[in-house]
Amino acid sequence: MKEKIEDKIFKLWIISSTIIVVTIIVFVLGYILRKGFGAIDLEFIFGNPKGIPLGVEGGIFPAIIGSLLLMILSCIFASILAISTAIYTVFYCSFRKVRDIIHLIIQCMAGVPSIVLGMFGYTLLILYLRINRSLLTAAITLGIMIFPYIEVRVEKILNEVNSSIINSSYALGISKFHTIIRLILPICKADIISAILLAGGFAMGATAPIILTGAVIFAPIPQSIFSPVMALPFHLYILTGEGISLQNAYGTAAVLIIILLLINILSLIIGRRKEHR
Amino acid sequence: MEIIKVNNLNVSYGNKLILKNLSMPFIKNKITAIIGPSGCGKSTFLTTLNLMLEEYDGKYNGEILFKDKDIKAYDKDEIRKMIGMVFQKPTPFPLSIYKNMTYAPIYYGVRDKQELRNLVESNLKKVGLFEEVSNELNMSAMKLSGGQQQRLSIARALTVEPEVLLLDEPCSALDIKNTAIIEEMLLELSKEYTIIIVTHNLSQAKRISDYVAFVLDGELIEYGHTNEVFYNPQDKRTKEYLDGIYG
Repeated sequence: MKEKIEDKIFKLWIISSTIIVVTIIVFVLGYILRKGFGAIDLEFIFGNPKGIPLGVEGGIFPAIIGSLLLMILSCIFASILAISTAIYTVFYCSFRKVRDIIHLIIQCMAGVPSIVLGMFGYTLLILYLRINRSLLTAAITLGIMIFPYIEVRVEKILNEVNSSIINSSYALGISKFHTIIRLILPICKADIISAILLAGGFAMGATAPIILTGAVIFAPIPQSIFSPVMALPFHLYILTGEGISLQNAYGTAAVLIIILLLINILSLIIGRRKEHR
Repeated sequence: MEIIKVNNLNVSYGNKLILKNLSMPFIKNKITAIIGPSGCGKSTFLTTLNLMLEEYDGKYNGEILFKDKDIKAYDKDEIRKMIGMVFQKPTPFPLSIYKNMTYAPIYYGVRDKQELRNLVESNLKKVGLFEEVSNELNMSAMKLSGGQQQRLSIARALTVEPEVLLLDEPCSALDIKNTAIIEEMLLELSKEYTIIIVTHNLSQAKRISDYVAFVLDGELIEYGHTNEVFYNPQDKRTKEYLDGIYG
């Protein structure tokens, strides 16, 4: 009898927790989208910010493109390093201690506050290496931020590849390098892309790392990776922080959220498609 | 003619000795069955022959001669190419049937489309799979039935043109019908290849093998022609095993 009551209370607890969380999320999303939709029209999406102070009128097109470019570049930068590191730890690192140290460092990296990463990027890339505040420096800083997220997930994905498949390849006399490049990575492709996309969404929403390293109040669509760049979250921060236009801030937030939702849905679809194969 | 000769082989994982002082020959173009209860070291023995042992962190000492030359004198990958292996559970790559079959040939430098196609066709025919899948070569190999997957695994092992084929209980996960197909196929393949099969199934060993080796607790108890071992075992333990006293 006692167990039954415990069971019921537990069930009630987990169901109500779920309901509360889902309600809050739906409310936040709904609120922003409802408030934001008023500001969104073609001019808002495809126009440049205008007015005095800048952003009162006009659109956010350079910021949309800037954010997408930041996401793509930071993903390229982070995923090359993350996939390589994951391959090393899973297939080549034969010392447990070394692997443990790598894991420890990566976990520490994931815990570094993003504003600190921004400062690090600023000091290293802009003050020390003397690169312009630009798309490149901001993307590298974001890349450092999302690197641990991609690495951890890719490592898990690689570890989940059935070892008998890997051994079957070795048993054909095929080298480790070829097995990894031609068999294991293609098998994991969908999962890895899905992981990178999720991290990309995370990078796109981050503001702190780019404040010091590349985001500016206004810039046209960047001509090269050495041009400064506008970004949605930074634009949102300026619009709200400086009290420029709450209406446009909601519009910007709505656009950002819609893009992020699309990325997450895409990531889910890619991950799901593999399961059905 | 002996294609492989094993002399005084000891195999261990860490401190645990799995095979003790094992010596036996494998005759070319014959089927040799290795029988024995679970955990006696049969599978370990098989993995030693193509140096897969090191992927499982095992070590061996003693001598294994492949065509009268110590296998240590060959390159590891070279040995595995010449001594192919099929595992207990079917292990198709989660790729298309066609890509499963061309994976190794492409690695070994076959680029010509027609040549690849011929390789796929001839090897699938050897395992009797070609007629069943000829229209679906681009289908994922994961969609095949268990028996078909195992035959695909065997066909894939044949794509690198090995001389010896090691099979680790290839039928243990299959039903009677698929087992029969595979047995018949192995008999056919033994004309071209030397086959070494680990099996739990004594009647299977009796049906298809020319030679039988009985391993118990890491020791070779008896080796001989299949009929001699089955009908006139020299060792008491072999007789007890055949009578069903051990697992």
